[in-house]
Amino acid sequence: MRRFILQRLASIVVTLWLLATIVFLLVNVLPGDVGRQILGPFAPQVEVDAFNTRLGTDKPLLEQYFQSIKRIFTLDFGDSYQSGTSVLDIILPALGRSGKLALLAFVITIPISIAAGIYAARRQDKFADRVVVNAGLASSSIPEFVTAALLLSVFAVHWKLGKAFANPPAGTSLFGQLEYLLLPALAMVFAYFGYIARMTRAGVISALMSDYTRTATMKGLSSNQVMRRHILRNALAPTITVISVQIGYLIGGIIGVEKVFNYAGLGSTMLSAVGAKDIPVLQGAVLLVGIVYMFSTLLADLLIAYLNPRVRLEVTR
Amino acid sequence: MSFTDQPSGTGMPPTIATETVMAPVAPDASPSERKQARRENWRLIRKRPAFILGCAIVFVWVVCAILGNRITPHHPLDFRGPINVSPSWDYLFGTDKTGRDVLSRVMAGARDVLKIAPLAAIIGVVCGVIVGMFMGYLGGVLDLVASRIVESFLALPTVLIGLLAITTLGNSSWVVIGVIATLFTPIVARTVRSAVLAERDLDYVTSAKLRGEGKLFIMFREILPNVTGPIIVELTVRIGYAVFTVATLSFLGAGPPPPSPDWGAQVSDNYNSIVAGFWWTTFFPALAIASLVIAANLIADSVQSVVEAS
Amino acid sequence: MTTSSSSPSPLAGQTATAAALEVDDLHVVYTVRGIDRAVLRGVSFSVAPGEAFGLVGESGCGKSTTAYAALRYLPRNGKIVSGTVTVAGRDVTSMSTSELQSFRASEASMVYQDPAQAMNPTLKVGKQVIESFTLLGQSRHEAAKSAMEALRKVRIADPARVMDRYPFQLSGGMQQRVVIAMALACNPKLLVLDEPTTGLDATVEAEVLDLVRVLRQETDAAVLLIAHNLGIIRSLCDRVGVMYAGKIVEEGPSGEVFDDPQHPYTVGLLRSLPRRGVRKTEQALSTIPGILPLIGSDLPTCVFVDRCPLADEICRTEVPPMVPVGVNGDRYTRCHHSDRVVEVDEIKPGVDITVLAPSDTKPDVLELSHVSKTFKQRNLAVPALVDVELGLAEGETLGIVGESGSGKSTLAKTMLGIESADDGGVVSLDGRAVAPATGGRSAEDKRSMQMVFQNPDSALNRAWSVRRILMRSVQKLTGIKGEEANKRVETLATHLRLTPRHLDLKPRQLSGGLKQRVAIARAFAGDPKIVVCDEPTSALDVSVQAAILNLLADLQSEQRTSYVFITHDMGVVRYLADRIAVMYLGRIQEIGPTDDVFHGPNHPYTEALLSAIPSVDGEEKVRIRLDGEIPSPANPPSGCVFHPRCPRVMIGICDVTEPPLAEVSPGHAMRCHIPVEQLIELQRKPA
Repeated sequence: MRRFILQRLASIVVTLWLLATIVFLLVNVLPGDVGRQILGPFAPQVEVDAFNTRLGTDKPLLEQYFQSIKRIFTLDFGDSYQSGTSVLDIILPALGRSGKLALLAFVITIPISIAAGIYAARRQDKFADRVVVNAGLASSSIPEFVTAALLLSVFAVHWKLGKAFANPPAGTSLFGQLEYLLLPALAMVFAYFGYIARMTRAGVISALMSDYTRTATMKGLSSNQVMRRHILRNALAPTITVISVQIGYLIGGIIGVEKVFNYAGLGSTMLSAVGAKDIPVLQGAVLLVGIVYMFSTLLADLLIAYLNPRVRLEVTR
Repeated sequence: MSFTDQPSGTGMPPTIATETVMAPVAPDASPSERKQARRENWRLIRKRPAFILGCAIVFVWVVCAILGNRITPHHPLDFRGPINVSPSWDYLFGTDKTGRDVLSRVMAGARDVLKIAPLAAIIGVVCGVIVGMFMGYLGGVLDLVASRIVESFLALPTVLIGLLAITTLGNSSWVVIGVIATLFTPIVARTVRSAVLAERDLDYVTSAKLRGEGKLFIMFREILPNVTGPIIVELTVRIGYAVFTVATLSFLGAGPPPPSPDWGAQVSDNYNSIVAGFWWTTFFPALAIASLVIAANLIADSVQSVVEAS
Repeated sequence: MTTSSSSPSPLAGQTATAAALEVDDLHVVYTVRGIDRAVLRGVSFSVAPGEAFGLVGESGCGKSTTAYAALRYLPRNGKIVSGTVTVAGRDVTSMSTSELQSFRASEASMVYQDPAQAMNPTLKVGKQVIESFTLLGQSRHEAAKSAMEALRKVRIADPARVMDRYPFQLSGGMQQRVVIAMALACNPKLLVLDEPTTGLDATVEAEVLDLVRVLRQETDAAVLLIAHNLGIIRSLCDRVGVMYAGKIVEEGPSGEVFDDPQHPYTVGLLRSLPRRGVRKTEQALSTIPGILPLIGSDLPTCVFVDRCPLADEICRTEVPPMVPVGVNGDRYTRCHHSDRVVEVDEIKPGVDITVLAPSDTKPDVLELSHVSKTFKQRNLAVPALVDVELGLAEGETLGIVGESGSGKSTLAKTMLGIESADDGGVVSLDGRAVAPATGGRSAEDKRSMQMVFQNPDSALNRAWSVRRILMRSVQKLTGIKGEEANKRVETLATHLRLTPRHLDLKPRQLSGGLKQRVAIARAFAGDPKIVVCDEPTSALDVSVQAAILNLLADLQSEQRTSYVFITHDMGVVRYLADRIAVMYLGRIQEIGPTDDVFHGPNHPYTEALLSAIPSVDGEEKVRIRLDGEIPSPANPPSGCVFHPRCPRVMIGICDVTEPPLAEVSPGHAMRCHIPVEQLIELQRKPA
């Protein structure tokens, strides 16, 4: 197990380095003056130069590259062009707020999806199964901002449940915050329920068709006993992978939801950064999200490895 | 990451349980029987309601995209109509805050999406197939390095990168296509790689090596025809995702500038009016987006069932 | 007018005691896309308590379905249409779900084909065995004790250790013992075994079968054994039922049925096996014309009619009656023409092939000298082949025999260049050394040595038509193109009895036997001098195997091709090979002419291997039991690698020095420290 962890950590280091490189290339891919490009053709040269110095884009490319790499590992993303404050100070709290929303969404989605997936798998090809599969297919096909807009119009406006502006005022109790965050979280739930349910269903179906399930049934266990004792522990591995991967897609989706509900999370921060062409903030956000994603997949991999005795006991085959 | 992963379990007692959803062909079937079986397979997919529905929806939007302004009841940019009219006989989807007919705008918006999304998906898939094939077959150091690169690409959220790219590279369809294609390539490569790995150790590949076939021949003439199934599935799924992403990006402001009838842009322009009670200006473009993505996924799902059964 | 095929259990009223298992006119169908396809077409038989009944047949005959139906475990699209299954007086077919559950927990058990898959990979073995006991109502504490006892009963020496392991940490033989232990936990009235040893090595298989034999004596469970290997059935079962296309065509005491078959199918089946040491030069194997019917196809009243040499009109219209055989009333056959069975089958002549000994002017067609192959795995050096020396003359067949870890597959790959031999090893064709890897060899070399693989499904490119497969090989190996190449493809096809129609099909439209013929045709596309056959018939049914073996023998006699024939089936290798090499842990332990190897004296490993094969002919054998497991090639024992398991080991010599491969008689060499005279003495068969 230890070797596995070390391998994964090494892999993460390499991946983060590549991530930083890709982002660097993206920002610097066009030759020429970054400052000029951002400030536009009408800005005075003095300002452009000052801008470039501040951004550090007047230094040789290689030096900028190394600095970029250093940044991702020290989490120092420079200062925002708009406000001058450290990028980290801007995006971390924003990430925290988005994280709260995401967490609520997951807390709701995961149990429901897994339960639905198991339910559907046990009734394979019957009506209930088709309903779950098709509902999941449909709901996950709808972009999050669309669901958000629909939820907004139906619940917040029409029925006056929930809030159209989802920012809970400072000091609201945890329960009170729920009222604000529920609708946007629900928009996310719609989007992710489908995939997680389908993967769980696939895992359970696969386990149901396996030989060890046959053995368990032939021993005389009831189907509930078989499910509890044998199937679940084998079927959940793909679900865990899926959940961790969804975290990557989640970020993209949450931006749309945040916009619709005017929620002050990472998404909104990024959108205003786009508007102002605030590259350090954008860069920092992308890198930070990448880091979060890598660690969530690491966690998932560790969990799966722990559940899989073959890896846990480090069998060399 | 396919939406539509189905399990392949080890069968229960007799194989017929997992056997043919497709028309079974007897061994020693004559060529005409074989052709009939192939036709039957396609007939079976045509019968699936999911497939029919998906194709119907796609067909409608394709027609809208091609014929554009010629078939819209009003001109999409014509703002001389009445403002904020709710859906009625004259204006089936109502009008927006500047008096434009929503139905016409929705119909015209199909073109913006269908110009970008399928192209991006196809480019991504083609590149992904090539990369995945090399990774899967050649293995070794190439695979190790490429896998790391693929993993780091997977950590990049498409929408965020899209926003970053728009900021640095400007707001054009080609940037969007480029971003989507580049970010899809590693995803497709991963799928193709696993399919290729499953084929690589099969004996027909060894037999080819014993004949002295070169690597490129083996990759693209021997192995590739056997992995077209997963590739087609991946293509249809990617198109769905591409529509999804394009819509999201244009909703977030990265799409064509106003007064374009692009769907995402329409939602973006009008969602604030929902609070005021004008729901139709958001609802119908949103529905359009949803319908196209669902259609793509329905098709992908049907194709996957067919591929798996054969 | 066809009469219904309902019939009472043929030997009803035979036994005074209630049958442990009684299957009465069972019809089972699978529903595929709305159409019901018949799988069992009226199967009836009974098994008394303490009796072992074997069901034997080729693929698609329905034997597995019958076994699962006995415990009413059918796939989702399977259903019992009519008929009953009664176990110890209880009607299984009409039980409710909960009754079925308790039935399976306490009255009947099953042992499956792939023990590795049969256990939950994420639970410890102990927990799974204990589960079998808690289901009987025992407390956890009692169940744990019972579990230990159960493992001891299946001859597991250290039950505590095994219970603490996960399934993947156990060897195949050990896994199957655990599954058997779980099956016997409830002291069942009926024990069903479905191909319990398929996939296990010969010596391990023999151990498991021995175990079953011993355990049978300790319980009075009725045993239903499903197998395609007739030797296993004979050695373990009192009675046998031969199945074809969902019906039992012949039933009776196993010895009698195999020695004197009465149904045309049984006759054909037994004659297609190489039995009693027959060689290819003496006679060709019998084949049954036609192909096995697909599951669920529509068949006339006698299911065998399309392939039967005795068939006539009546067979198509009337259900064949059950004709009793012999005087004891415990045998019958289902045939209209049982009196004419002797007409079935004449002996066909064997092939004529003289193998010329190598001489100075004509070197060996293939020679391996000091060939070793070591794999690097993560810091470990795994020697898969160690110092192999062999030669192959023109027109000769060299059989390579061995269990897992023996290195026989690696040997094939090294010969062909798929793997490169370690430095110092030389592979020579016609006296010239060739490059160790295929890539470095000349086109001429590639053309002279080709391969036929074990699994025809993976050996042919599914996306190519047969014509393209053959065409490409012809073009690439011979350089011929265009119309000439086309002609050559057609000649090849005719030679291998493939019709022009077959050429336009894709592999998945062909049966296993046909696919293998295409694979052989492909190997012969360039007129090779040597064809390496890696278990070419292991994946095929017995009757199909016979046709392929005949084909290979014919081709060899015409083209004077040499074969390296790798197999684990001793009957087949005895039939086809001129010389045999026995491998263990990467080393050749014994090599010599076939007759010498089968006659003796033998290396102790060969001796054990030969004694492990269950014989269809009911030959008496002295069973040599090998202790322990086959060691991992990464960790070979010191000295003679076989010494830890050798029943004739001489401590002090065998564990210290590795014996060289030394000749014991002309052409016959062994790697053993024991002097050959002593071996002859020790291995002398009891008079």
